[in-house]
Formats: sequence, structure tokens, C-alpha cells
Amino acid sequence: MMRKLAFAAVIAAGLAAAVAPALAQDAVLNQARANGLIGEQADGYLGIVPGADVSADIRSRVDQNNIQRRALYTRRAAQRNVSVNEMAAAVACEVFENRIGIGERYRNEAGQWRQRTTSQPVQMPSFCPD
Amino acid sequence: MRMRAQMLTGLGAAIAAAGCIPVQIQAPDEPIEINLNVNIRQEVIVRLERDAEELLENNSGLFGGPSQ
Repeated sequence: MMRKLAFAAVIAAGLAAAVAPALAQDAVLNQARANGLIGEQADGYLGIVPGADVSADIRSRVDQNNIQRRALYTRRAAQRNVSVNEMAAAVACEVFENRIGIGERYRNEAGQWRQRTTSQPVQMPSFCPD
Repeated sequence: MRMRAQMLTGLGAAIAAAGCIPVQIQAPDEPIEINLNVNIRQEVIVRLERDAEELLENNSGLFGGPSQ
């Protein structure tokens, strides 16, 4: 009985550890986002703004974030029988629509970095539905 | 010496093969192929809209918080 309980606890802890990174907001990345060092890209991944003075820590967090994104896109793309790039682009549409705050930078479809301001809304990629 | 001979033979074969490829100078009927691709793509994107929403909701830590 005790052993069963202990086993269940280990499983639960493992599950929590696996799920937590995906759910928890990364404060470091959020700060970098707010500071205009990094931003969302039209390809569905996170990017580092050219010329930004970015620490190795931020750089590796961006890489890790993108690896996790790619895994998500890949899994869902396989389920829907579409390419990974298409799945990533679909997510980019949602992100550009709802997740880029005022003052944050983003990289548009043409590859140029832009900043969302109160007077300049996010330029939506052409492949996004209206 | 033998190596060189083999290389030369290979080169000759490559040139011969290249010479056999018919050169088509036909003008393309649809010069707007890029636009065509975008259309197909957009269709797929529309179909994936709900999946994308769900991915964002379930993994909000990977993406920025909801913006105003």
C-alpha cells in the first residue's frame, strides 16, 4: 500500500515537472520581451532583435523556448497532416493577433523588425485569415 | 594514374548525361505560381485556426501573455 502510494507520488511529481515548464511564464523572457530585446516572429518562433545586447542566459532561454515550440508544432502538424511550417504559421497568426503587447517588438513576414505602438498596430502576415 | 582515368571517365559520363537533358525553353503558363502557393497555404492556415488557439491556451508559458 505504502509502496503504491510512493509510486503514485513519483509519477505525479514527474508529470508536474513535465507540465510545469509549458505552463509557467518565463519572467526573464517576459522582461526581455518588454525591453524590446526579443520578440515574436511571423514564422511562429521567438527571435532576438538584431543588435540587442542579450545575455547568454536569455539566448539559451530563447533557444529552449523555440525547441519546445517546434516540438508542439511538429506533433500537431503530424496529427493534422500539414507541414510543421504551416502549423507554426497558424500559431503565428494567433500570436500576432493576441499576444504582442504595446511597445513590444516583432518580426514581420518580410523579416523586418517592427514595434507595436498605440498608433501602429501589428502588421499581420498575409497568410493569416482576416 | 588509374584514379585519374576513372575520374576522367566519370567526368565524361557526367558531360554525356548533361548533354542528354532536353532544354525546354517553353514559357510557363502560370507565372503566378507563388500566389497559388499562398492560396493553398492560407486554406490550411484557416483550417488550423482552432488548433493554433488551443496550442496557445494550453502552452501560454511558451508564448507571451495575452496583450491588450
